[in-house]
Amino acid sequence: MELLQTLCNGVLTGLVYGVVALSFVVIYRASRIVNLSQGQVVMASAFFVWLFVQQLGWPLWLGLVAALAASVALGALIERTVFRRLIGQPVFTVVMASIGLLILLQGAAQLFFGAQTRPFPQIFPEGAWTVGPLLLNKALLIGAVLTLLTSEALHRFFTHSRPGLRLAAVAEDHVTALSLGVSVRQATAIAWMLGTALAMLAAVILLSGTVLGLQAAEIGLRALPVALLGGLESVRGASLAGVLVGVGEALASRYLDPHTAGAASLVFPYVLMILVLLFRPQGLFGWKKIERL
Amino acid sequence: MSAVLPSGVFFERYAAERALVRTGPQWVALALFLAGLAAVPWLASDYVLGVLTLAAITLVAVLGLQITVGMAGLLNLGQSAFVGVGAFTAAALAAKGWSPWVCIPAAAFAAGAVSLLFGLPALRIKGFYLALTTIAAQIMFPIVMIRLPEDWFGGLAGLAVDPPVLFGITAGTPAAMYALSVVVAAIAFVATMNLRRSRVGRAFRAMHDNDIASSVIGVNLAKTKLQAFFAGAFFAGVSGALYAYFVRYVSTEQFTLWLSVWYVGMLIVGGLHTPLGAVLGVLAITALHELVHAAGNVALAGLTNVSGGTVFAMTNVVLGGVILLMLLFEPLGLAHRWALLKASYRMWPYPHG
Repeated sequence: MELLQTLCNGVLTGLVYGVVALSFVVIYRASRIVNLSQGQVVMASAFFVWLFVQQLGWPLWLGLVAALAASVALGALIERTVFRRLIGQPVFTVVMASIGLLILLQGAAQLFFGAQTRPFPQIFPEGAWTVGPLLLNKALLIGAVLTLLTSEALHRFFTHSRPGLRLAAVAEDHVTALSLGVSVRQATAIAWMLGTALAMLAAVILLSGTVLGLQAAEIGLRALPVALLGGLESVRGASLAGVLVGVGEALASRYLDPHTAGAASLVFPYVLMILVLLFRPQGLFGWKKIERL
Repeated sequence: MSAVLPSGVFFERYAAERALVRTGPQWVALALFLAGLAAVPWLASDYVLGVLTLAAITLVAVLGLQITVGMAGLLNLGQSAFVGVGAFTAAALAAKGWSPWVCIPAAAFAAGAVSLLFGLPALRIKGFYLALTTIAAQIMFPIVMIRLPEDWFGGLAGLAVDPPVLFGITAGTPAAMYALSVVVAAIAFVATMNLRRSRVGRAFRAMHDNDIASSVIGVNLAKTKLQAFFAGAFFAGVSGALYAYFVRYVSTEQFTLWLSVWYVGMLIVGGLHTPLGAVLGVLAITALHELVHAAGNVALAGLTNVSGGTVFAMTNVVLGGVILLMLLFEPLGLAHRWALLKASYRMWPYPHG
């Protein structure tokens, strides 16, 4: 029974990784941009929520809407000033730009909001539901349902709608997409708006009722192995990989951590990622790239 | 090698053309530069000397990064973990009484060996996926390091290091540490310049330009990738050993992802494609850092609500901004500007295009 509880907790935590991974995937899937600063974007969204709800004391719904608008505006700003100018550049340049952005956002957040931690508003109900012998954290469970619904909706958008399919061409190759009449600019704009909106969702699920500080950004680099495991092109893969990593981590922390002073669960996602990359470089559900001269 | 030479300069032997220092005036400039470096301990304060020593130590690590990232095109975001491996190895050996002659090479080889472990995925993957395995190395480094038995690497507390003893002299003074670091950095620079025009270096550059095409013309990709990782981390190990001797204390908190990102930032600002870029980048970012630091201290004296963390945050904002601006407007870095300047000086008074 304890094992079952561990598994359930693993699944719920895993889906939190899943939603952050989803925001990586959406940006990549729509614009071929790997945004390493996604954790900082999540942190920025969280600060917006705190600013409107806690600091300015707006009603919860209004605060959330305002924070969502601010996050999307931030995404649009980043896209306009940085990534639009890098369309068609090698992956290397884009990754480097996202690293520059990572440093910039982290520094800016510290300048504007300071390094201290602060309470984050309670958005989902507190406590846990008892299902039979199991205890399920309410906030995480609601978050999990939202994650799955969003991921399914995005999956349908990317695979069954005309604008979504156009984005697939951009993810494949900028130049080819341009020559087929697909607007890469529009794609990167959509990518960033969707990506920051998802980051906002991730921030709310991750932090509801807990404390917010600069270290919230660390979720970005913890969710990165999840995004890779699922495959960067696969929207559904992100949540599934999240569940895998979450369960693995929960099991490692339950059974291996006592013997390794807590290292096993921390190292697990990265070891898993390296192993997966060795044997299946495109991740579980990613596109296999065929290269020619 | 730049193609443009002043009129009247020509070579009669290939060896003369290939040389790093080719003309009389270049020898004069080099001698003046070296004399300037040697004169610094008499002219500068201990603080400035410390900053320059750290810059030289950083330069060794960034030169290593130039080999892995700039020459071979393998993205490495875990350089500071490899520096850390070198620092801990040197510190642990020094604590057992070994001389720097053993500690520094051992640190270099240890860092190289660890890098091979994380370079292995490079056989299958490339581009930004590779960056992720090096990030994994970076994140796993402190987690593993502080849980190893305490008598190996000191665990959470870290290790204290005695000043190095070289040629019977204890290099405890800032000037001695400066001399050691600058000499090692100079050796590293010449080694990188030479690697670039060696068979291995040409293989790196071919792989960088197009890995599939280079494998067709006979570059063994697996071997070359591992070599590139090893070479970069080897330099990182040397840098780490010097760092341990300089700071005289190592702990995992000194080798963060931030530091790795800073290294990459320095390389971008300076210019990825030549070792000169590493030098210019380290100098530029060090100067910028000191500037922000000085400005921050002035602000700290004037205001009461500015904390020490604000200076760090300011530095991050400036560095992040500079990286983005360089990528957008001068992707070839300061080294390219330098090359343009040199060309226009040589062509003067004729315009160049």
